[in-house]
Formats: sequence, C-alpha cells, structure tokens
Amino acid sequence: MSENILLKAEHIDKRFGITHALNDVSININRGEIRALIGENGSGKSTFCQMLCGIYTIGGGTFTLDGEVLNVHNQVEANRAGVSIIVQEMGTLSGLSVAENIFLGHEEPFMHHGIKDTRAMVREGQRLLDEYGFSNIRAGSMIDNYNFEDRKLVEIVKATYMKPKILVVDETTTALSQNGRLELYKIMDAVRADNRSVIFISHDLGEVLEHSNTISILRDGEYIDTVNASDVNEDDLKRLMVGREIGSAYYRTDYGTKISDEVVLSVKNVTVKGQIYDVSFDLHRGEILGFGGLSECGMHEVGKAVFGASWDREGVVKLSDGTEIRDIPSAIHHSIAYASKDRDNESIILNESIRNNIVLPSLDDLASNHLLSKRKLDKFALENAEKMQTKMANINQFISDLSGGNKQKVVLARWLGKGSDILVLDSPTRGIDVKVKQAIYALMSELTAQGKSIIMISEEIAELLGMSDRIIIMKDGRINGEFMRSEKLTDEDLIAKMV
Amino acid sequence: MAQRENSESRLASFFASDTFKGLLPFIGLVVILAAMYYLTNGRIMQPKRLRLLLSQVYYPMIVATGVFFVMTLGSIDFTEGSTLGVASIVVSVLSFYSIPLAILGGILTGAAIGAVNGFFHVKFKLQSFIVTICTMYLFRGVCAYLTTETAIPASQAIKALDSDNLKTCVTLAVLIVAFFVFRFTRVGNDFKAVGSGETAARFSGVRTDRVKFLAFVAAGALTGLAAFVNVIKVGSITSTAGNQLETQILISLVLGGLPITGGAKVRFSNIIVGTLMYTVLNNGLVMLGFESATQQLIKGIVFLIFVALTIDRKALKVIK
Repeated sequence: MSENILLKAEHIDKRFGITHALNDVSININRGEIRALIGENGSGKSTFCQMLCGIYTIGGGTFTLDGEVLNVHNQVEANRAGVSIIVQEMGTLSGLSVAENIFLGHEEPFMHHGIKDTRAMVREGQRLLDEYGFSNIRAGSMIDNYNFEDRKLVEIVKATYMKPKILVVDETTTALSQNGRLELYKIMDAVRADNRSVIFISHDLGEVLEHSNTISILRDGEYIDTVNASDVNEDDLKRLMVGREIGSAYYRTDYGTKISDEVVLSVKNVTVKGQIYDVSFDLHRGEILGFGGLSECGMHEVGKAVFGASWDREGVVKLSDGTEIRDIPSAIHHSIAYASKDRDNESIILNESIRNNIVLPSLDDLASNHLLSKRKLDKFALENAEKMQTKMANINQFISDLSGGNKQKVVLARWLGKGSDILVLDSPTRGIDVKVKQAIYALMSELTAQGKSIIMISEEIAELLGMSDRIIIMKDGRINGEFMRSEKLTDEDLIAKMV
Repeated sequence: MAQRENSESRLASFFASDTFKGLLPFIGLVVILAAMYYLTNGRIMQPKRLRLLLSQVYYPMIVATGVFFVMTLGSIDFTEGSTLGVASIVVSVLSFYSIPLAILGGILTGAAIGAVNGFFHVKFKLQSFIVTICTMYLFRGVCAYLTTETAIPASQAIKALDSDNLKTCVTLAVLIVAFFVFRFTRVGNDFKAVGSGETAARFSGVRTDRVKFLAFVAAGALTGLAAFVNVIKVGSITSTAGNQLETQILISLVLGGLPITGGAKVRFSNIIVGTLMYTVLNNGLVMLGFESATQQLIKGIVFLIFVALTIDRKALKVIK
C-alpha cells in the first residue's frame, strides 16, 4: 500500500499574520490518481498547493515526493523536483514569445556558450504544441497575440511537457471554454494513465465528481476527509465543505410574481464603440434583470455604461425623474451601485483597509460641515461589514488578506451602507463558494423585496435562470433576445440566443 | 520552555508588525539626534544652534507638506527647486509694492506651475516624474534667465520681517491646515484612495483626475508660500535659488517613512520626522567641520543605510 503513495504531505501548516491558513494538514496522494481538493474560499486549498510548488514558503511540516523530502524555493526548482502547477489567473508572461514562455527557467538545452538558440527553442516549442494538438498557436509569436484561453493552453503545455510526477490544476477550468476544458481533461487523464498524479482544484462539483478518483475536503484550513468520487454526490460534498446541511433554497423558488410597471431606469440607444451597439432597455422597480451571453458579447460593458464608467458612451441612461447619468460620481450620487466582475481592480482598493473600502462612496453623506469624524466612519464600516457577516479580524484589516467571498461581502457592504436603490452586479458570485453564494442570493431577494432593483450580469446560466425576473441575452454587442421568468425556461432556450 | 518560545515569537511578530515599522522613522530620528549630540559634545543642543537648525527647517517643511500630497497619490514632483526659484523672484519684485501682494504673487506663481504639471500629468496621461523632470528644466531655465544680469534684490520691508516667530507661525499654520485636510476631509481621503488603487477609487466615485490635478496645484502653491519665507531669509535671489531642493524634499519624506507608492500607509508624521531628520544630519555634519564634499559623501551613506533599514518592502510590491 505505502509503495503506492507518490506524495506524502505531513503536518503542513501556514500562517499569514493572524490568519491560520492551514492547520496541521496531512494528505497522501497515490500514484495514478486524480485527486480533487475542494473547500470553500479561504479553506486553504490554494495555499496548500502553492507551498507544494514553491510559490509560498512552507510554514511547517514536510512534503515527501517519491520518498524524497521536497525542499523547493521557487517554481523552477519545483518543476525540476517533478511538481508543476497551472494557476487560476494569468500564468504566462507578456512580452515574451510563446516558446520563451514554455521554456521559462528551463533554457539550458538551447544555450550554447551563454547564447540562446532561438530557432531551436521555437522549433521544439512548436513540436510540443503540435503534439498537444494546439497547432493554431505559433511558438515563435509573442504571447500577447493570443487571448486568455490560448494563453492558458500554452500554460498547460508549459506545466506538463516535462512530465511532472505531480500536476496541480488550480481552478484553471473557470477560465476555459468547453473545448479548452476537454483538452485539459484529456491531459489530466494522460497523466493518470502514465501512473503519475494530478491534484485538481475546482469549485465546480459536477466537474470534480466526473473527473477525479478521490476527493479531499478542506474546511477553514483543516483537513476534513478524503472520499471516493464514486461513493458521493454533490450534496454530500457540499455538506462536507460547509460542515452543515445546505438548505434547498439556493435560488429563488417563486414564479409568476408580477413585475412592477414603475420604470426606475431607462437605457436608450447606448453605444460604446467596439463593445456594445444600440442597447435599449428599461429596469423596473423591484426586479432582478439578468444579462447573459458569451464572454465577449458586451454584457459586461452594459453594466459599466449604466454606471457611467464607459470611456466613450453615446446614448442616454436616465432615471425615472429624468436625471441623466453621465459619470460615476453622478451615478453614485443618484443611488446606483456597481460591483465589477474584475473585483480586485475595479470593485475594491486591494491595498486599503476594510474600513476605508466601505466608507469611500459614502464620505459625502458621512461628513458634517465637510469634516469627517473617525468614530462615525468606524461605526458605519463596522455596522455594514457585520450586516454582511464579513469574516475579518477587525475593520482595519487590509482587504488583500480576505478570501474572494469575503471581498465580495465588503463590496456589497459598502453599497448597502450607501443605500443604493439600483444595483448593477457583474458576476456577483464569480469564484465564490457555496455558502457565500447562498448568502448573496438571499440578500438579492431581500433587496428586491424592499423595492430596490438589480441588474445582474452573469456568465452562469443556472444563476440567470434561478434568480432573474427577466433575462436579456446579448450577442456581438447587441440585445438578441429577452425572456420572462418561467419554470419552463431552459438552458437551451438561452444558449440558442447566445450563439 | 514553551512560554519562553511564545514570548520570543511574540517579540518577533512585534518586529514584523506594522506598528513597529511605523515607529522606525521615529527611532531613526532619535538615533541621529543622539549620535550628533554625542559627536558634537552636546553643542548641537545649544539654544543658538537650535535656532539655526530651526531656521533651516521652515521652508523645507512647508514645501514637503505640499509634496506629501503628491506622493500620497504615488506620484512624484521634481519641480520644487525651480518653482521656489521663480516664485522667489516674483515675491522679491512684488515686495517693493506691497507685502500681501508679494505673498499672494508667490503662491499664485507656484500654483500656476503646479497647474502646468497637473495638466500634463492628467490630460496627456504622462507619468508625473517625466512631466516634472521636463518642467524642472523649463522653470530652472526661466529662473536662470531672469537672474543672468544680476541677482534680484527684495525690498527692505520684506527683509525686516525676518523673525523666528513669524516663520514658526507660518510653518505651523501650514502643518495644521494640511493635517486637517488630510485627516478630516473628503479630499484628503481621496488622495489616499487614489494612491492605494486608482481604478478602484474611480469606480468608487472619486474624481481621480481632479484629485490628481489638485495635489500638484497644492504642491506648487505651498512651494510658492515657502518662497516668501525664503525671501525673508536670503534677501536677494540668484540663479541657484532652491537648487536641488526637490531631492532634499524627496529624501526627507522617504526618511520620514513615506512609502514611495503612496496610499494607505502614508502618515502625516512622515513630513515632520523626515524634515527634522534631514536637517539635524545636515547641521551636525557642518558643525563637525566636514568639507562640503565629505558632507555629501556621508549624507549619501547615511541615507542608504537608513532607507535600507527602514523602508517598508511590502508597499513596494504594488506595481503602478
């Protein structure tokens, strides 16, 4: 039995300041298996893998790979030891060619007396790309010429061509289309067939059950259990992740609720060159208006246009009282809130405290005679952070320390505090775990019950179907279909309008 | 045994904490003061010496207060020296007509130069250090041109104002008002927000362009006010007025603990601690009788050591 163990992780521990990210975690991974690692945001799964791959220093404990203790300080050393990783966000470097990216840190075979043989490198890179079936990517081109998805494919080649003993796939699939996913699954299967192993991190439990052999669960930095994929279903996994039963009320369950006739916001003939063309719609009081489409369809720009954040917008965005929204300050002043898909850059100031992030849009309301009182700001921030049940040490903690779900809670807390009546939520549950997702859906229902209106832009069809009163589907920057909430509405109906 | 380990780790975590890092500049100031006290056998603390030391603090501190706002944004301003030169000329010339007019003229001149910087930085989206290096040459040129024939004298009336009381009052007033703006107003908060993350600040309703423009105008205006204090002291303006002031201010603020990236970790005390540190070191070296070449050398070494020891590396990781 023990001979079959490829990786032994013993008493792995990691702290970030006051946060105990991983607490004495021990996991064994066998040869020739795909091991899924699941848990909510902040449960420590990425931290675990990043220590394994030398991205973080190991806080405590040891990794033993193939009988040898791993002692790596960066990704290149980890690669040499037989561990490689495909990360969640962009993992390729701009300004280098595709081949240079693939062989980054492993250039020696192409070096002759300190001079790089670019042609040989490109040739070898192309050979690998062809072998993987990615011939449309040219090894000699700059990586910048390719889109996010192709760059992910390059990263996959980079991580796997040297046949690592352990391949870590850290939430890569969210960035990939269906085709890209299939390619990745194929490669994972190939690693397994070669009696090597894959550690597979994903929030998509369906995908986890389908493609892994065994599943290890982490919760709040602690190891919970390892189960066979064939013995469990999604609900079992959710329960293990959260530690209690997840209620069935995940999405809304009401159908046939009448939408109010009162229009709170109307968008007329809005065009943003290169993004959206001639978009017109009305938003009613108390409704959730869903926007869906493929990722390049322009729906994200609609949110920005409503919020006055588009650089060069034509057309009119008008409130019921005739006020026109032209820029962000006037949008905020007139009670419009916006949570961006690009949470870390556009929604929150990463290098600031939770407190300052929450009070920022409300400073004018909180000032008396143009003066701000620290006590008043503290109280405001604490109240709203607590209303959202944000998991934090205190309000002065930097927001960069928080997990994705908690960051989103802070974003919502600031707009709750501002008391905005119209909320534009772009991908509100992107990269967020089940528990927080449920809380966000509950909050949305609560807000609409209070008469507030929500524009929800989402890449998840289930979310659109489950939460929206009305769904607008976009294609190539234009509105291509509209659906009312109905039990009969299916994925296929929406997809038909998307493609 | 376990207890001892615990207290050791607590000590270690204290040294790694933000509180301790925030204290480092203060510790640096005390160390420099103590060293100078020791090396000069206490002479540096003589009332006469202290007066001299203070007289060198006034105008750099006023200028540093303005630059502080620019650096809170994560930007940089290299024009202080040349602005001080041009504004001093304006103050000197106007001082023959009326003192209030001279003060106002100085401030407006500075503000106008700041507005030029801000305009190019904001409208043309040029990085601030590029813009201000260009305008530094431009206004240094103006200053040199106006003073080629002869030094520009100021009126006796303005020179008669030279008293520590007045200069202390002006400096304190600037510090108090700036502190108020920084700490208790929306604008002060906006400076920090832009420094911490410009895009997110914009999406939170901060008028980022306006805020940036304002910071440069404020830096210019305060330098213009400092020109008044400078004219009182020196009485006539030559082409070297304010030479290298910008680097002095920059290094003062960095010594005072101001993160070069600006943003959340900026503290108002950075201005005071940094300017004092620079001045004490400068004066101490003069008192110790070093030649100016040697002084430069020692200053360079001390700065390097201090910056290496005290700078907050975490803040440097933020890419702008």
